Amino acid sequence: MTDDDLRTRLRAADPAASLPPMAPQQLDRLLEETMSTTSFPWRRVALIAAAFVLLAGAGLLFLRPATPTTEVLPVPSAVTVDLTATGARAKCVEPTAEVLRDSADFAFAGTVTGIDGTVVTLQVSKVYLGATAAQVRVTQEDGGASDTMLGSGTFETGKEYLVAAAQGSILICGYSGEADAVGLRALYEAAF
Amino acid sequence: MNVDARRERFASIAPVVIDAVRRYLARRTDPATADDVLSETLLVCWRRRDVMPAEHLPWAYGIARHCLANAERGRRRQARLAARIAVLDPPPQAIDGPAPADDELAVALRAMRAEDAELLRLWAWEDLSPAQIAVVLGVSVNAATIRLHRAKQRLRKLLAPAGHEDSTEGSRP
Repeated sequence: MTDDDLRTRLRAADPAASLPPMAPQQLDRLLEETMSTTSFPWRRVALIAAAFVLLAGAGLLFLRPATPTTEVLPVPSAVTVDLTATGARAKCVEPTAEVLRDSADFAFAGTVTGIDGTVVTLQVSKVYLGATAAQVRVTQEDGGASDTMLGSGTFETGKEYLVAAAQGSILICGYSGEADAVGLRALYEAAF
Repeated sequence: MNVDARRERFASIAPVVIDAVRRYLARRTDPATADDVLSETLLVCWRRRDVMPAEHLPWAYGIARHCLANAERGRRRQARLAARIAVLDPPPQAIDGPAPADDELAVALRAMRAEDAELLRLWAWEDLSPAQIAVVLGVSVNAATIRLHRAKQRLRKLLAPAGHEDSTEGSRP
């Protein structure tokens, strides 16, 4: 038996000889599914990218400016400053030290010593910019208005915050928040 | 090469690869497993498209071979999946056996070592040269050539009319 004979005999027994060709739409679907699947490294990149998108989205939320409704009380003796944290309106851009430096007229680090209704009292530990004050009172319109702060979103008793304000209104949009919120202290160090 | 060009290239050769791998799998496993392993094989080809050689069929067979081996290892899981596929997406049709069943050949192939039978299948069914078989199996061309030659001889002996009883190597006195 020659090679050719052997091959012919084997081929006659090919179980796929009668296999019909794949339907074009089935082929297209298979190809599409395959090519829309990303390989492992790309999947990881995509995950990271998605995380950035999420962060950016969260950033937009934080970056909306508060409406100035209350003026900073005169601080002749540098004791108490009144600020408001009100509802947010527009979308904001990523916080930068330049913007913080240019727009803020008052910035400090402080620990919340008490919350009385809508009024939050902070004990100032460091003033980055503006008149020296020992205590700051922040008026929050309601619970929902303050969730634009970095960190947990609201003032909580005992926690330290970094707060910047302009014309008596707290700068949110990533410019104020819990002192240990990622990047916030660095932003303050860079700005002031 | 930019991303679009690479996609174009893959999309242009994929139908040939899919057809060949489909046949390869249809010859070696049940339709449900074949469907599953085909998409897996294609996915691996797509992920490794940057290293796809010009002669892509033996390369793709080699990938299909590994994917099939994986599938066979995960047989129990595979059985569950196959059952699910059969419910969600029934295989178009079962494959008919060869028209006049060559029982003698089937018996001879089963009697051979699995490696030898596989060499012969790659040679006759996939129509591969020894060099291409070497790529599929991941062995040297030399080894593939010699093994194929020996496998042919063994099959010939098994099929020889006089060799029904005691012609297999090693059983000879």
